[in-house]
Amino acid sequence: MSELPPRTEATTPQAERTWRRRGLAALVLLLPLTLAEASHDSVREWLHGEDLIARDVDFGQSVPFGGSDWKLADLRGGKAGRLPDNAFAVIATFSVTVGDPDLQKKWLGCKLMLTDAAGRRWLPDVISGVSVPDGVVNCTSAIFSGARKGDVITVGDTFIVPENAVKTIRPAIGLGSERPWYLRFQRPPK
Amino acid sequence: MRVRAIGNLAILAATVALSYGMQVTKPHYADLTAPVPIDGAMHDWVRARSFDVRLDKIVFAHTLKSDRFGTSKILTTSGVWAVVTTSLTATSTSTTVADGIWQGPTGLRYRVTERLGYRSDLPPHDVDPGLEKRGLYVFEVPADQIRGASLLIAARRFAPLDAQARIRLDAVPVGADGQPADILPEYDLDAPPAPGKT
Repeated sequence: MSELPPRTEATTPQAERTWRRRGLAALVLLLPLTLAEASHDSVREWLHGEDLIARDVDFGQSVPFGGSDWKLADLRGGKAGRLPDNAFAVIATFSVTVGDPDLQKKWLGCKLMLTDAAGRRWLPDVISGVSVPDGVVNCTSAIFSGARKGDVITVGDTFIVPENAVKTIRPAIGLGSERPWYLRFQRPPK
Repeated sequence: MRVRAIGNLAILAATVALSYGMQVTKPHYADLTAPVPIDGAMHDWVRARSFDVRLDKIVFAHTLKSDRFGTSKILTTSGVWAVVTTSLTATSTSTTVADGIWQGPTGLRYRVTERLGYRSDLPPHDVDPGLEKRGLYVFEVPADQIRGASLLIAARRFAPLDAQARIRLDAVPVGADGQPADILPEYDLDAPPAPGKT
């Protein structure tokens, strides 16, 4: 019976060396995949909470969003109520034709915004002395209004924006069921 | 064989010592995810991630007066009231600036008082981009926690890794005893701000 030769690089069988190399190569693929899998839920949650990608809508155009059709009804601004010196009050209203009446699910996290050319965003503010026109409801009230399929509701809110942004502001709307996409509307023609 | 056993024991001991050392020096999770301080001085804009803040004025007083629902409320303290006036603005998106901490020279931390109840000029402050807003922070602090103190302002009370403005209060005039040079007997929160006075 002959003795086994000691195991060195030269005597390690070819198949074993090939598999060792394949194992190392697999790590290059498996490590990023593991990271992706581990962070998948957090990334998805983050994407669903942020208005990241704008879908531009022309003035007068109606666009399906969150199960309903959204159209910019009016955008008006001016000096009114109690405001700081360099600020304007703006009211944005949308005409919405309800499609899917489950608004509590489809419109969850509803957010009306104004954006400007520099990418800044304003959320609704309470301005003493300024209120939305009669028949206009804010997003949260609309969700609990019990609107049925086919109903047309007017959703709107008041904003305070600085004078230097008034010329370029555009109204936008974000809904939990559509994030990271949001609608950004062209201003009404002068 | 004996040398090898001693060697193994030495490696084991070294491993235990190293592991123990790592365990006792491990930073707390709360420190690893603590807010990121952005340093600044009084009267300068400090740019945090979601808001900018400038400390405009500090007034010290022995009692505070606040009007609420038509009646005046007088608040006394065994320490000193510090009323900090700031200017706030949002950087890119409308946001809320809610947290304020008075950090004394030895690291003791005092949160904004809750004794005043709701007032629109107290936190949380709603701020918008491009619009400056006056925001008050009112603290009740011992007199010996004023010299060398800092004001810490953050958007939220629990905001891991978010920015926290840290403003040194070194421009506060203090006497030899460490107490502020002028402490008002009473400060009226509802008196109109005196123009031009800092």
